[in-house]
Amino acid sequence: MTNLPVTSESFTIPVGPLHVALEEPMYFRVAVDGETVTDVDINAGHVHRGIEYLATKRTLAQNMILTERICSLCSNSHPETFALAAETIAEMEVPERATYLRVVAGEVKRVASNLFNVAILAHLVGYEALFMHVMQVRELAQDLKEAVFGNRMDLGAICIGGTRYDLDEDTITALTVALDRLEPEIREIEKTYRTNGSIQRRTRGVGVLSIDDAIACGVVGPVARASGLMQDVRADAPYHAYDRLPLDVQTLPDGDVWSRAMIRLHEALDAIVILRACLRDLPDGPVNLGSDPYVPPGRAVARSEAPRGELLYYLKTCDAEEPERLKWRVPSFPNWDALTVMLNRAKVADIAIIVNSIDPCISCTER
Amino acid sequence: MTRLAPDFEKTLRDAAAGDLAITTTTDAHGVSVVWCELARNTDLVAVASRLRAFEARLAMITASQPKAPEEEEDEQDEENSEAGDVMVRATPVTFGGTPLDGTSYEVIYHFILADEAVNLIAHAPANGSLASLTPLFRPADWPEREIMELYGLTFTGHPDPRRLFLDNSIEPSVFERLIPFSTLVNAASTDDLWKKVHAAAKATAIEGE
Repeated sequence: MTNLPVTSESFTIPVGPLHVALEEPMYFRVAVDGETVTDVDINAGHVHRGIEYLATKRTLAQNMILTERICSLCSNSHPETFALAAETIAEMEVPERATYLRVVAGEVKRVASNLFNVAILAHLVGYEALFMHVMQVRELAQDLKEAVFGNRMDLGAICIGGTRYDLDEDTITALTVALDRLEPEIREIEKTYRTNGSIQRRTRGVGVLSIDDAIACGVVGPVARASGLMQDVRADAPYHAYDRLPLDVQTLPDGDVWSRAMIRLHEALDAIVILRACLRDLPDGPVNLGSDPYVPPGRAVARSEAPRGELLYYLKTCDAEEPERLKWRVPSFPNWDALTVMLNRAKVADIAIIVNSIDPCISCTER
Repeated sequence: MTRLAPDFEKTLRDAAAGDLAITTTTDAHGVSVVWCELARNTDLVAVASRLRAFEARLAMITASQPKAPEEEEDEQDEENSEAGDVMVRATPVTFGGTPLDGTSYEVIYHFILADEAVNLIAHAPANGSLASLTPLFRPADWPEREIMELYGLTFTGHPDPRRLFLDNSIEPSVFERLIPFSTLVNAASTDDLWKKVHAAAKATAIEGE
């Protein structure tokens, strides 16, 4: 390779909007010098659906349904955070049992979402056996969701004032058994990602985001924590029952693709610890405040830690049943910008791996 | 009790030439939310600079066109006007005096500072502009570009004011007008569903006869 003449000519190559390595459409215009990326321009808008406008034409109860459909992987986080905002305006006190049940729904989704991203990483590395194995393990989480909530993706677990589901002895047993099966599997997967040569070679030192760049870009979630930024809404601004649960927020110093995958695997394992504590401490009582609680005019912001990071909702209500304005900022939104830093000086072959490492959600981003 | 610096409120007030309306609420978990409304939108950069000095993170920007407050006596007025009773009602205004007639803009900058949410509110009249915060906060880039394509509001001094999500062929200010669904989806949906609905409605009507 070194014998080839080196040209100073720079080329622009398109990646996307439809690309084998991207699950959703996004267009990157990448300037390359040989095999090295010199500049990236991101062109978005391929799945823009105007949901924010639609939300102002729907009642609050209808928006619980609508927001759950913004994105599939973090589908529970949207109605969860929206409900938090509405409850803040109405000064509602959510029943104790519901705060634990909400954590159960959120953490089950976190396990499945993080495993999915880590699986795709194995696929992009070209380690198809590992990809299929991780997806198989994720299937345990999918089955668990189907058994408890009746659905594999949209759980329909949250309502304003509490939850729409309850756990009885049988479902708690089913959950416990599923968690006991999941935990050793995820531990094994974590060990593989920690030690396997193919994974290490393609992910360590690749797509680095320094802590200074992480702060400047305002990144959130596993991307921030993998760059050494101690930040997790569940710990920083507790909601639900998180201030009573064994939350273990960890950071890694390197800010590379590998660190982001390891943080996600750690958080999948920690979610199981939290889930077990929830099932153990689950208080008795009602799970919601009855149907259609009244939300007076007012405004509120609410935050939660979705699998991909901080999700922020702003809700302004008026006398009408429809919100005057409903706005949300998904965790992927600030993380896109960090890609321009991560991709700078990267190898063309690593572009897909680096893009996947922010666990991008385009349906979320464009709404 | 917030986790913000004790001199937080004073620092912001000192930075602004105009008035500030600051309210703080704290929830049962001890998490606070601060709402800080600017009387003069020209104070935006000065106040935002102080927030940057406090190492705040800009998390989100919300733009909206607040509705004019409900005018309850409307019907009565119409009756009275026949009798020649002319009533002049002043347009309601925001804190700071921007007309609140459904065409002006309210822009909220949601910051995270010391793990608390600090919301900075600025108003701008119809077709107005605000200073861009992108030079101060890199995460303002995409939100400002998005707002500029959804509303007729501009952010002056934005380093890269291109369209973000919407194609250049789409007319601006899409949030300020009704776009029929068939236009939105480029008539890509069929009328199969409606045919079924009409057929079902017809069948029910015949049954009822």
